[in-house]
Amino acid sequence: MNIQKLRDEAIRAIGRKDVKYLIGYQRGSYGFRVSPAFIQTKEDVDRLIFSPLCHLSLTKYLTLEEIIPVSEEKQKASKIAIFARGCDSRALNQVIAEKGIPRDKLFIIGIPCEGVIDRKKIEARFPHVTDPADVIEENGKYIITIGDQSHEIQKEELLADTCKVCQYPNPFIYDKLVGDKVAPRPANYDDIKSWEEKPLEEKLDFWLDQFDRCIRCYACKNACPLCYSLVCILDRLNPQWVKRSNDTSENLMFHISRAFHLAGRCISCGECERACPMDIPLMKLNRKLEKDVKDLFSYESGKDSESKSPMTTFHVEDREDFIL
Amino acid sequence: MGTLILQKDKLKDFLSSLDEYTLWAPVQKDTITLFEVIKDPKNVSLDLKHQAKIPKEAVFPQTELLFSFDKDGIIKKTDSREMKESIVFGIRPCDARSFLILDPVFEGAIPDPYYLSRRNKAILVGLTCTEPFSNCFCTSLGGNPFSQKGLDLIFTELNGKFYVEVVTEKGKKIIDKTSSLFTAASTEDTKQREELAQASESKIKRQINLNGIPEKLAMIFEHPFWKQIATKCIGCGICTYTCPTCYCFDIQDEPTLRKGRRVRIWDSCMFGEYTLHASGHNPRPTRAERLKNRIYHKFKFNVDNFGVPGCVGCGRCISLCPFNVDLIESLSAIKSIE
Repeated sequence: MNIQKLRDEAIRAIGRKDVKYLIGYQRGSYGFRVSPAFIQTKEDVDRLIFSPLCHLSLTKYLTLEEIIPVSEEKQKASKIAIFARGCDSRALNQVIAEKGIPRDKLFIIGIPCEGVIDRKKIEARFPHVTDPADVIEENGKYIITIGDQSHEIQKEELLADTCKVCQYPNPFIYDKLVGDKVAPRPANYDDIKSWEEKPLEEKLDFWLDQFDRCIRCYACKNACPLCYSLVCILDRLNPQWVKRSNDTSENLMFHISRAFHLAGRCISCGECERACPMDIPLMKLNRKLEKDVKDLFSYESGKDSESKSPMTTFHVEDREDFIL
Repeated sequence: MGTLILQKDKLKDFLSSLDEYTLWAPVQKDTITLFEVIKDPKNVSLDLKHQAKIPKEAVFPQTELLFSFDKDGIIKKTDSREMKESIVFGIRPCDARSFLILDPVFEGAIPDPYYLSRRNKAILVGLTCTEPFSNCFCTSLGGNPFSQKGLDLIFTELNGKFYVEVVTEKGKKIIDKTSSLFTAASTEDTKQREELAQASESKIKRQINLNGIPEKLAMIFEHPFWKQIATKCIGCGICTYTCPTCYCFDIQDEPTLRKGRRVRIWDSCMFGEYTLHASGHNPRPTRAERLKNRIYHKFKFNVDNFGVPGCVGCGRCISLCPFNVDLIESLSAIKSIE
């Protein structure tokens, strides 16, 4: 990625009268961290970065209540500019199709994505790094610079699991595209297929054990670009569908609700799993549902901004054999 | 009160000898560390690489049943007097200090029987930190990786053995029961411990000088800064639910068709529900007010009410925040506001 090209595009974007600010990435506060960047001026643009460490799903910020203070001249600007990798573009398409955000409120800078590093993996490999660290990708390897030391690691060792099976690294929707298109990886549900074959009891025990450790911080739901309900079912008080007690039964209810609301909507960015402080493998659930929706309805979320996801539509010929 | 040596292979015998107590200790499961009630001491793992679960739960559980009921009345009531003595083993010095911050809150005008009963019956056995995490900043909050504060016993891992410091009478009581397992520590052992303590403290890289922060906070309640720093926040509860000094709770009735229960559960000021009024009005409508409250509570209100900040510098809220909201960075920014 030529960072100067990206910054030039960002300068042009925030220079537009109709763009309020730009959401991108900047170096985080320590070590391998990357932080969201909210760019309003030409000077701020120098903070922007794009590297294999940029795993955050920025689309979330379009649906959170807006609190960022903007300059007077930008008060009336109607658009928000945003960086979008392949998965982000699918999230944008999906949210636009659901009428969560109008397309004309967005100025999308598409970035073909080679995949991102899982922060948990790199921090396990290089623990206790406080000094700023950088990573670049070269010929299937990551070159990691920490202070004056440099390390080379095979890409696949640190690559986020979701990126290892990413079929859509190139943005589907954008106003400007920066960078060369990336070769997609083939669809691969081998992990899910072998999981499906396990006995029901084993699968239930596995998930009960996983959900038992949940601390109910809701980071998975809050980090998810597709969880943007004004009042989420999990927050409802009357009726209170999910009790606040942290026990196996309520946690199971919470996680089933979360997963099912994403059936046919999840765009496989993997942010929920990366955000989880208890390392619950949520993508295993999400990908199972993704595979089912693909098999049953030939639908994949977020490939355009018009299609409606199967769970929000009805056709007389829909399968009903699962209804008791 | 004395320093002793316990060979590492004797740890299991030591823990087994404590079977009259409820034993809480860290357990390794896949990639994470849980703090659990231990039935078999061989499951105890002192390799604390994962930080999200906090020993606070041994005294202040996330979910506490107050009573259960059906249409005829109360079926079961939690009686704080029935709680067993417990040993909370393998906790970090920062987590031990967190109890000293929590105590005055629950001892207040209306003493909390649930917390206090567990707390008074808990013997805290610490494990010194020889490898601080990247965001540890306990030294900025009056602690250090080898601090004895709040602990009854503290273990330090030396080569193949534990250097055990007896801090209180409560701690001595459990050592006395198994005194045959322990030998006296030599001056060489003590020297090694000192060296480790110094080396560990020098590994702590992050710090913040808190001087002037409560005074500064008194002046910037309406400052646009709060909106700026909260822009990144996604409003999840990681920072509060993994915090050893957060103590907010809610009490809710959880009825089903035929029976129900009243529970006390942890609450989080980062959630909208925290301040939601019955009218529907919410005085803290956005992440900006919520994040502001978290910082005010810890670095001003707690100082005003109890004389100390409500933070031990464990760094969990920084390391575990998915979107890099960094408390040290926020506090530094607060200091630099003119």
